[in-house]
Amino acid sequence: MKTSRLAALAALALVVTGCGSSTGSTDGAAGDGGPPPILTVWQMGPGSPEQTTFLDGVEAEFRKNYPNTDVVIKYVPWSQAATAFQKAAAGGEGPDVTEIGNTDVQSHIEQGNLADISAEVNAWPEGKDLNKGALANDQANGKTYAVPWYGGVRAVWYRKDWFAELNIAVPKSWPELVAAARKIQDTKKVPGIAAPSDQTNAILSFVWANGGDIAAKEGNKWVGKLADPKARQALEFYTGLVRTERVAPDKYVGKNELQGPQQDFALGQLGMYIDGSWALPELKQIKDDSANWGTFPVPGPTGGTAPVFSGGSDLAIWQTTKSKKASFDYITVLNNKRNAQVFADSQKFLPQFTDLLRGSRYASDPLMSAFATAANAGVRFTPTSKGWADYEQSKKVLPNAVKEVMQGASVETACKQADQQAGQLLNP
Amino acid sequence: MIRTRTRITPYLLILPTLVVIGALLFWPMIQIGMLSAQQVGHRQLRGEPAQWVGTDNYTAVLESDLFWSSFMHTVLFAAVAVTLTMAVGTAVGLLLNQLRGRMSNFVAGGVMIAWATPPITAAIVFSWLFGSTGGLANWVLEALPDALVGGGWRDYNWFGSPFPTYVVLTVCVVWQSFPFVAVSVLAGLKSVPGELFEAAKVDGASAWRTFWRITFPLLRPIFLVLLVLSIIWDFKVFTQLFVMSGLANRDAYNLSLFAYAEAFGSMNAKLGLGSAIATVLTVILLVVTALYVRMMVRRGELA
Repeated sequence: MKTSRLAALAALALVVTGCGSSTGSTDGAAGDGGPPPILTVWQMGPGSPEQTTFLDGVEAEFRKNYPNTDVVIKYVPWSQAATAFQKAAAGGEGPDVTEIGNTDVQSHIEQGNLADISAEVNAWPEGKDLNKGALANDQANGKTYAVPWYGGVRAVWYRKDWFAELNIAVPKSWPELVAAARKIQDTKKVPGIAAPSDQTNAILSFVWANGGDIAAKEGNKWVGKLADPKARQALEFYTGLVRTERVAPDKYVGKNELQGPQQDFALGQLGMYIDGSWALPELKQIKDDSANWGTFPVPGPTGGTAPVFSGGSDLAIWQTTKSKKASFDYITVLNNKRNAQVFADSQKFLPQFTDLLRGSRYASDPLMSAFATAANAGVRFTPTSKGWADYEQSKKVLPNAVKEVMQGASVETACKQADQQAGQLLNP
Repeated sequence: MIRTRTRITPYLLILPTLVVIGALLFWPMIQIGMLSAQQVGHRQLRGEPAQWVGTDNYTAVLESDLFWSSFMHTVLFAAVAVTLTMAVGTAVGLLLNQLRGRMSNFVAGGVMIAWATPPITAAIVFSWLFGSTGGLANWVLEALPDALVGGGWRDYNWFGSPFPTYVVLTVCVVWQSFPFVAVSVLAGLKSVPGELFEAAKVDGASAWRTFWRITFPLLRPIFLVLLVLSIIWDFKVFTQLFVMSGLANRDAYNLSLFAYAEAFGSMNAKLGLGSAIATVLTVILLVVTALYVRMMVRRGELA
C-alpha cells in the first residue's frame, strides 16, 4: 500500500516535470482531418444568457453540415485573455476558433498563433462585403489571418432631461463641451463630465480630432508623436478638464470608464461620460433610466465630429487546429450577414459588413445614430505594430502619462517620456 | 553488508520526498533562472529555441525607474504590514486566551472568517469599501465632524496615488493575515504552564511586564517562525494590489505587479524579463530571511 502510494507520487512528479518542458510542435500548416468530433470555440467576455442562446442557434445551423461535431464554447474574461492565449501557446491546448480583440490581432500574427486563411476568405462569397479597413487590420505580408466580426465606436453619453431642463444644446465644439459640463455641475451639484485617465481609446479621439496622432511610421520605424503641438494641445485639453477647468472630478484619475463613471452616470450622479454603444445593457442593469439618456458624437475642437477608434472583435483559427475546414465553416455560419446582424443588435454593436452599416436602420435609432454618425465620419485604428499590445495593455503608456499630467506633471515632459517609450515598444 | 544497508536506508527514505520537492520546487526555480537569461515569448513557449541574452534582462530591470519605485514600495509595505500583523495578531491571541465561553467562540469565529476569505474576494470587498461610488469609508469619513477628519471625503479617490492606495492595501492585508498569528500565539499560550502567570500575578507584575518577561521569551521560537512567514507573504502581495489599482497606476507598483506587467501584462509575453524580476525578488527574500535566521541561531534561540 505504502509503496504504491510512493510510486504514485513519483509518477506524479514525472508527469509534472513532463508538463514543464513543452512539446516541440512547429509552425507547420494547420491540419485537416475531416469533420472533428469536437470543435472548441473561445468567446471573450463573461458571456450572457442571450449570448448563449444565440450561440446555440449558430451551433444548430452549423450542425446541419456537421451532424457529428459537438461545438464546445468556452468564455474567457477579457482580463484573462492574454494569459489564456499564453497557456494555449505553451500547452498546445488551444481552441479551434477564437474571438480576438482587434488591437491584439497583429501580436497574434507576429507570434504565429493564427492559421493563414487567405484562400478561405477569398472563396467566401459574403467575405467580399467585409469592411475593408477592419479587414486590413487582420492582414500582414499580403496574407489574411482573421475576419472582422463586430465593432463599435465611442460617443458621449449625456442626460437628455438635464440638457433640456437647463437649455443646453448638444455641444459641437470643445468650449461648448466644457460650458455644458460646467452648467450641469453648477446647478445639479454633480460632476459635469468624467475624464478617466485609463481610457486610451477615448483620449485618442481628442488627439485625432486636433490633427495629432499617437505615433507615425517614418520609414520602417514607429515614432511617438504625442509631443507634437497638436497632440499635446489635445492632451492639455483632456487633462485640463480635471486640472484647470475643474468640470471633471479627480476621483476617476487612475481609473477606466467602468470603475466609476458608468455607475455614476446610470445612478444620476454624473452629467456626461464617454463610452461605447455596448454600454447600454450594462447601464440599464445598474439603473434603467434610459428614457433620460442620449448620446452625441465626440465633437472636434472647433466643430465637426472627432475621428473615433474602432474597437471590436475578430474571428480567427488557432494555428494548431486539426480541422481548419470545419473551423472556417463555423466562422461563416457565426459571421454570416444574418447572424452578424442579430448578434450585433443584441449586444448593441455594429456588424462589420459595409452594406449592413449603410442601411437606414441605424439612422433612425435615437441611441445608435450618434454611434453610426461617428463611425461614418471616420474610424481610425491604432498603430499596426505588434508592440501596440505592450504600449496599450502592459505598460498603459498613455493612461499613465495622462494621470501624471492630471496630478500636476508638465504636459511637455509627460508627452516626451511617452514618445520615448513608444520608440522602444512599437519597434520591437 | 548490514552496515552499508543502514547507511543507505535513511537516504532511501528521504528520496521520494526529495524527488517530489525537486520536481515541484527546484526544477521550476532552475527553469526561472534559465528563463531570466533568455528572450522568451509565445514562439519559444511553443518550442522554438530561445535566444540567450546573458544579463540583458537584469540590466533592463535594474535600469528601469519603475524597478526602484516598486522596490521601495515592496520593502516599506512589508515593514509596515509585518509589524502591524504581528502586533495585532499577538494582541488578539492574548485576548482569545483570556476569553471564555460564547465570547471566545464569537471572536474566534470572526477571526476565522477574515482568514478564510480568498485574497481576490477581500480585494474586491475593500475596493468597494473604499470606492468613490457608494463606498462606506468615504461615507463614514464625510459623516464624521470636519474638525476631526477634515472635509471633502465624499469623492475622495483612494487609489489615485501611492500613499492612500497602500493605506488601503495595508488594512486589507493585515486584516487577512493577523488571524494566523493570533491562532498560533493562542496555541503557544495554551502550552505555557499557568503557574508562571500566577506567580507573576502574586508578585504584582503588570500585564505589560508579564508579557515581555514571561510570554514573549517562552514563545520566542513561535514568533520567529511567524515573523519569517509574514515577511515572505507580505513581500509578494500581488492579488490585492492588482485588483485595487492595477496596471493603469504604475506609480503604485510593487515588485510582484511590476513582474506581472512585464511578463504577462499583454499579448506579447516577456517571460525572460518577468523571470529576472522574480529572481531578484527571491534573492531579496532569501537574504532578508537568512540574515534573520542567522541572527536568531547565533543567539541560540532556535536550539
